[in-house]
Amino acid sequence: MSAIDPASAEATAPTGSLADRHRGLIALSGREVNRVLKLWQQTIAAPVVSSFLFILVFGLSLGSRISGVEGVDYDVFIVPGLVTMAMVQAAYSNNSSSVFQARFDRYINDVLASPMKSWEVNLGLSLGGAVRALLIAIALVLLALPVVSVPVEHPLELVLAVFLALVLFSSLGVIVGVYAQSWDHASFVQNIVIVPLSFLGGTFYSVDTLPSPWQEISHVNPLFFVINAVRYGFLGVSDVSVWLSLGVMAALAAVMVAWSSWLFSTGRKLKA
Amino acid sequence: MEHATTSVPALELRGLTKRYDDGFLALEGFDMTVPAGEFFGLLGPNGAGKTTLISAVCNLIRTTGGEIRIFGRDHRVAEARRLIGLAEQDINLDRFLDVEETLLYHGGYYGMSRAHAKRRAAEMMEIMDLSGKAKTRAPKLSGGMRRRLLIARALMHEPPLLILDEPTAGVDFELRLDLWQYIRRLHGEGTTVLLTTHYLEEAEELCNEIALIRGGRLLARDSADGLRAHYGVETLADVYVKAMAAAA
Repeated sequence: MSAIDPASAEATAPTGSLADRHRGLIALSGREVNRVLKLWQQTIAAPVVSSFLFILVFGLSLGSRISGVEGVDYDVFIVPGLVTMAMVQAAYSNNSSSVFQARFDRYINDVLASPMKSWEVNLGLSLGGAVRALLIAIALVLLALPVVSVPVEHPLELVLAVFLALVLFSSLGVIVGVYAQSWDHASFVQNIVIVPLSFLGGTFYSVDTLPSPWQEISHVNPLFFVINAVRYGFLGVSDVSVWLSLGVMAALAAVMVAWSSWLFSTGRKLKA
Repeated sequence: MEHATTSVPALELRGLTKRYDDGFLALEGFDMTVPAGEFFGLLGPNGAGKTTLISAVCNLIRTTGGEIRIFGRDHRVAEARRLIGLAEQDINLDRFLDVEETLLYHGGYYGMSRAHAKRRAAEMMEIMDLSGKAKTRAPKLSGGMRRRLLIARALMHEPPLLILDEPTAGVDFELRLDLWQYIRRLHGEGTTVLLTTHYLEEAEELCNEIALIRGGRLLARDSADGLRAHYGVETLADVYVKAMAAAA
């Protein structure tokens, strides 16, 4: 019996360009985005519609009865917060459910057994949520434009804020997806942590209007900084310095990335 | 297809130990070598350590101690991982992907170019009689088709070491014979096969060499004839019963 020489099998080993050397990462990212697009009614349309309803109901119906906030019309003021809320929820829930499902059905083994590097697996699994969140944000802004005129006052800060928010909540989603033992665990973080903190972080109001100690308490809410950074990018107004907000987001994002990287490099919770 | 020969073992386990977090010792100081080109069977009762062994080889569990080498390479490096194809016991197909996508993405994970993966996926679907279901998602396939897709996925990147963990569990007799025929052909072309099964006749029919394991320990290994002679019995079933009883 003549055996296959492993050297001939290694002919499939990617060499050459950067894209060739990271085909695994490209494939896994593609799989995650493919999943988002296949389930577009659930992953894109539903959150866009529900957030747009907030803009219509709170902005147009109630907005005319509420005086402007920080010199901005109320229907315009709430748009950045709603876009942020939709984005962070999408980035988180997409990745937590995708990773948990892959663990639950054990098809994640196809990825874990492959020659991909641990950082490639981590990044590939994170990108689906980031792409989904961006698609939602773009759709929401495009839908909102004919109804309310939302400017982009500081594009650089806006891009930075969106980028850091996506890194932070995409990574959090992956981490929870790795730790979760049931669907309830993943939805608990969304329903009991992210949604309430989004509402309390100033989506619908300026935290400056709150009395003490609620104003100070709001400053320990990470979503407060995320919403304010995005709002500054759009409207040029914020309850705190945008650089403080971006700094807090960068620090939190670094912690999340470090945590998820540790999980994938050690195999903790992924491998028995 | 012509293949060069290699004298390096396809799989070497040295002192492999796995203790799970709950304290259960699944493998203890396990040594085993599977020569390149072999059709090697692994037999043992449930809980013997077969799946743990396979999972350790494929980097799906964290080992406690020991060494695993794939064609001479540490099993953790990318070059070694690329040499293994695994079809697990449970049907773990991605529920969001259709048949063709399942194969294409797998090819991508293993570093195949898109064009190469497309060609190979078409070939595998043809061989496994799945071409007509190329755009059907895995959950919509019959049990037999899912099993075939699982094996097609394991073979997608043309691994020289194929690991089949109970590949014919729960499949009908006709499909079992088809799978036997195909796996035999692969072995004839030079692929090393490591097979676990509960069907003794399957091991006898396919394997050049059989290892019996229980409680994470290797009890015996030889050809079916050698095992029968060693235990002084007529059938492989008697070998199995005798070996397991002695180890209990």
